Amino acid sequence: MSKRKRPESNAPSDSLTDHERLIYDVIRSKQDMGIWTRDMKRELRVNLPDNIVTKSIKSLQNKSLIKEVVNIHSKGKKHLMAVEFEPSKEISGGAWYSEGSLDTEFIKVVKSQCLKQIIKLKVATLEGISDSIKRSGAFKVDLTKQQIEEIVRALVLDNQIMEVKSNGSGEFTNIPVGKVCYKNVSKGGGGGEPKTGSLASIPCGVCPQINICTPDGVISPKTCVYYTTWLDF
Amino acid sequence: MLTEYGTKHAVHVITNHFGDLVAKVCECLLRKGPLTRQNVKRYTELSDEQVKNALLVLIQQNCVQAFTTEQPDGFADGPKANTQYVVLFDNILHRVRFAKFLTILSQEFDQQCVELVQGLLEHGRLTLKQMFDRAKSSEKEGNLVDLDSLRETLVKLVTAHYVERCPASEPLLMPISEEEGPARKKGSKSAKKIGEPETIEQQVVEAALPMEAMRFSVVTNVESDVGEKEKNSNNVTPGEKRKHDVLELDECGVADEQSVVYRANFEGFIRRLRHKGCIDHVRAHLDDGAANVLSAMLQATSSAEKKVKTKNSVPLSLSSIYEEVIKSEAGRNMTLDHVRASLVQLGELSFVDASSDSYSIDFEKIIEIAQNEEVESVVSKRYGRDAYRIFRLLSKSGRLLETDKISDTTFVEKKDAPKILYKLWKDGYLLMEKLVVTGARQSQFLLWKVNRQILWKHVLDEMFHAALNLSLRVSYELDREKELLNLPADKRTGPLQDRYNRIRKVRILLESSQMKLDDAILLFHDF
Repeated sequence: MSKRKRPESNAPSDSLTDHERLIYDVIRSKQDMGIWTRDMKRELRVNLPDNIVTKSIKSLQNKSLIKEVVNIHSKGKKHLMAVEFEPSKEISGGAWYSEGSLDTEFIKVVKSQCLKQIIKLKVATLEGISDSIKRSGAFKVDLTKQQIEEIVRALVLDNQIMEVKSNGSGEFTNIPVGKVCYKNVSKGGGGGEPKTGSLASIPCGVCPQINICTPDGVISPKTCVYYTTWLDF
Repeated sequence: MLTEYGTKHAVHVITNHFGDLVAKVCECLLRKGPLTRQNVKRYTELSDEQVKNALLVLIQQNCVQAFTTEQPDGFADGPKANTQYVVLFDNILHRVRFAKFLTILSQEFDQQCVELVQGLLEHGRLTLKQMFDRAKSSEKEGNLVDLDSLRETLVKLVTAHYVERCPASEPLLMPISEEEGPARKKGSKSAKKIGEPETIEQQVVEAALPMEAMRFSVVTNVESDVGEKEKNSNNVTPGEKRKHDVLELDECGVADEQSVVYRANFEGFIRRLRHKGCIDHVRAHLDDGAANVLSAMLQATSSAEKKVKTKNSVPLSLSSIYEEVIKSEAGRNMTLDHVRASLVQLGELSFVDASSDSYSIDFEKIIEIAQNEEVESVVSKRYGRDAYRIFRLLSKSGRLLETDKISDTTFVEKKDAPKILYKLWKDGYLLMEKLVVTGARQSQFLLWKVNRQILWKHVLDEMFHAALNLSLRVSYELDREKELLNLPADKRTGPLQDRYNRIRKVRILLESSQMKLDDAILLFHDF
């Protein structure tokens, strides 16, 4: 979870050279957005030679005043930030990113937990899923409502659950009429995999070359290697 | 507008069934639109006789319809009628479905009905006498054919709307005036949606159709006058005005049983296939109980359907539905509660609309979901799971979404999302728009969207392409093993037997794939 720390009012600055002070001020002014080294050089009021800048950055890092962070929009570029700040969502990618990449393991675990609770509850609202997960103690840190909503939306896109509206009766008793709920998809190929359609069941349906395939061309049904593999009995 | 592979597929079907010459004329009409015989001759560079014979074959087989239009003439002798020919693309597609039509019949009628329709499908159109002669020629001992029972069979099939009287040979197509336009489109049963302009093919088909009562009536008496005919004919409402160009009239103006021509009514079969498709879809999504309930609702309301692409079924009460459900063997074990529960399940998926204690099937919704699944399946298999989620997000949203928003919502890496989106766009699955925002710095954003109308046309073209490919591959494989297939069974030993086993499996796989793909073409083109 990203949390923004308030900058301390008395930053240690006595031991900084003029150059270091200049650079540190620019970086610190960007707060939780940080700044790319090249952009930072442009913002300096004086034109400092590269070697001075590099030396200053290294010194500031050694003094634990600034740190390097990953900007997911430009992972290769050196992005600097004052240590007292945590990278904002725009830089870090948000709760689901770790060091510039999607934390796929964490996402998988949360998805699996949400799905488990939905299956257990049979019909669940977002609040229901959230409470159920909290009670299960599956996570050390509480997930926010927004996080659960994002994961549940992704499960709908994966076709593992479906979104329905409560009609207030039957399995929707105790849920207000019109409230959005989620149910496990009863069928559908099993385990969220979509049932293979007719076109997708044949080589042409999944072929990346279909746009250049012609009846008598170099790529054609008669010469097609995908067909040959498919018909290799 | 026909797509490229729609045209190629249709031409291939005609070539397989009727040869290159007929196919050449057909292709000319498909690509150029309706033409006079002179123009067909000009474009195909065939002789007059060849063009005439090809057109006769295509008309006989219901793949082409002639029509006349009034050409205003500069000369004093008034407007001239000229005959043009238009291809009936849908009917060409139906030619690969004859086995499906006959299967439907065999589930509802006896063998004599199946054989009668088989004859109509094979020959395109027949009079009662021709049907009788055909039945006689394949008569088996102990199973003699008589005209009365054949006539009864014909009446059964016509009443069920699986057979119809042939349309007018050359109806006059009136030009649609500006004022008439929307009203005509609204009332037209062949317009796909209200507001969508009718194609010439649709206009001609509609102009040629006999009135409903005439279309589904069997002429039973010979050499009686018109008045008597009205009394004796089945299904004719007294006092209803007849179109004089509908009946095959002899010199005395009498409809002669011997000359009235009948053909298979494709619409009837397609409607039935649409129902069957919906039932199968419900069964796959829910269970047999829900499928039984839907089937019962269809049974009770299908006679009220005015056109194939009906949006909703006639509303029914719970008790009417239950009465119909328990009529079938499959539904006999269902309780009222069970039926009610199935209706709730169907309602949750919006397959059935429930209001004021009456229930109505939403065909459009069932078909829309089935179409979505078909396309999503292609996206998943061709582009991967991440692309599947992205596509579903854009398809559900129906509006433009920005790249970052897409990657956040679908949990796709920010560096991967643009690559996937670009690939989908390049292959015609997405639309893309650029948005430039000028502020402190100029930023460019890419927005993406699924446009169903454009995409569905593209997918249908891919299906026609795939159908053509399957057909070409079948011919190629069978051609390669032609000699082996002609070898007597006892000569097929060792590796020859292995090859024979392989070609059998290949044929079964390819032909069953063709049938399955045709179900998808029905879903996107006919349902």
